[in-house]
Amino acid sequence: MQAALEPFLQAHADEVSWVVVAQLSPFAPPENPGRLYDFYRASNEHQIENEVRSALKYNRNSRLSNKEAGAWMEIFVAYWRAVGFILRAEEARNQGRIEDRQFVDIYDAWKTMTDLIVRHISNGSLPNWTIVCMYVTANHLRRFAIRADEQLAQSKSNVTFSPGFGDDIVSTVARNEKLEEAARVFNKMFALCLGDRNPDMRESRKWGTYYVANLLFKTYFKLKNVSLSKNVVRSIEAQNDLPDFKVYPAAHRTTYKYYVGVLAFLQEDYTKAESCLTDAWNMCLPDSMKNQELILTYLIPCRLITKHNIPTQTLLASYPGLKRIFGPLVSCIKSGDLAGFDAALLAGEDTFVKRRIYLTLERGRDIALRNLLRKTFLAEGFEDLKEGQSELDRIRKTRIPLSHFVVALRLRSSGQALEDDEVECLLANMIYKGLMKGYISREHSMVVLNKKGAFPGTGV
Amino acid sequence: MSAQQGSAATTKAADTKNGEQTPKDQKPATQLEEDDEFEDFPIEDWTEDDAQLPAGGNNHLWEESWDDDDTSDDFSVQLREELKKLGQK
Repeated sequence: MQAALEPFLQAHADEVSWVVVAQLSPFAPPENPGRLYDFYRASNEHQIENEVRSALKYNRNSRLSNKEAGAWMEIFVAYWRAVGFILRAEEARNQGRIEDRQFVDIYDAWKTMTDLIVRHISNGSLPNWTIVCMYVTANHLRRFAIRADEQLAQSKSNVTFSPGFGDDIVSTVARNEKLEEAARVFNKMFALCLGDRNPDMRESRKWGTYYVANLLFKTYFKLKNVSLSKNVVRSIEAQNDLPDFKVYPAAHRTTYKYYVGVLAFLQEDYTKAESCLTDAWNMCLPDSMKNQELILTYLIPCRLITKHNIPTQTLLASYPGLKRIFGPLVSCIKSGDLAGFDAALLAGEDTFVKRRIYLTLERGRDIALRNLLRKTFLAEGFEDLKEGQSELDRIRKTRIPLSHFVVALRLRSSGQALEDDEVECLLANMIYKGLMKGYISREHSMVVLNKKGAFPGTGV
Repeated sequence: MSAQQGSAATTKAADTKNGEQTPKDQKPATQLEEDDEFEDFPIEDWTEDDAQLPAGGNNHLWEESWDDDDTSDDFSVQLREELKKLGQK
């Protein structure tokens, strides 16, 4: 055990937090795949406490204070036990048998360790630079909680096969038991980071704020409790003594911007959503394709609303998943194909609803309609040239019979033929929304479009 | 942890920079399906130069949602035919 804890003592003395983190990892490092196994075998349940104590407290190389050594002792003992459960699960999986509570046991053991870290940071036994250990440990806890809940759900559905109305209720209530418990731990951490009063910023726990906020977002999204995520954003925005956002690590910033962007999107604040998601996009690591895809999943519908823009083929080509879900929709918007748009929306409905972008995309139909009306306007051609006018003076026909729009809409819509009144209503809506400029003369069944910019922002 | 997983993780670690790799996503093969969850980045920090796109490089990503004023596409041709018929009635 003495030897096993040597790297920790060295890293601790140098205050290299990521090496300390590695000493508390539930995974073996690639260069030393047997690390967990060796660490676990270095002791046994009877001796672990004494051995860790002597390695940390009575070791002459150890420069830990008594109080801090006591804290680390508890943490390493809890870690050793958690590693035991991890190795047992590993072994069971290799032999093709997973026991009922294996992931639950891992979770419980890991939670004990996480709680200890939180307690010792909050009571001052551990220095604030160890905050990295806290939040990385918490991230593992989140993953273990999800797996534990899956296992619980599975074993419950196996056991409670008997028909009975009570079963449903039990299983829905307890479905995310462990993740909800973990969320409470993260909340404690969040308060610990956000509210740190240490005036020395280098030593502040505030550096953990965004990482823990991101953990909470991921957890609340998984628990489908979006409104709690809003509280996190509100707390951060109300805290005026945080270090400058720009100084936080890029991974923390990018993730934070993504979630704040998605939250704004869900609240239909598309301007804020666009700005946050664009920031996340610009900061994102080039290799993290999955994350880029997620950012674009919301940024594409967002820009459709804010800028009436669509992604280029070049952009979509880099993300086959996005091309599949957005490709047809985008080309129908561009060509003003309403029937195609409706079909594409229907075909992608499940995905769109799941990603919570359906309602936003549905609003893209206005843009498709605008493009159809614009095409009709262009098809009308130009007024005849009067004497003395040159080609340059040519102006487009801006008085268009309503019946022409009716023809265009019937060609491009699916289902029942549209009544003239319905078409008139659609046009009035376009004018109301500012997508088309002009008026309808009912008396003459004429649409009179603005000579200077009938379709604002589209060059005609 | 089996040697196999170890070697899979080595490939991943080779991509990391600054040595500041946080061993978070070396999850065993039975990784859960978290479709719309933002993934942990393999490194903590990077500079703007290493990021997605340097400022100003976003130009080719978005285009206007309407067709260029090309009135010779199939639909426009069909539409003009229909409108002509309408005029003859």
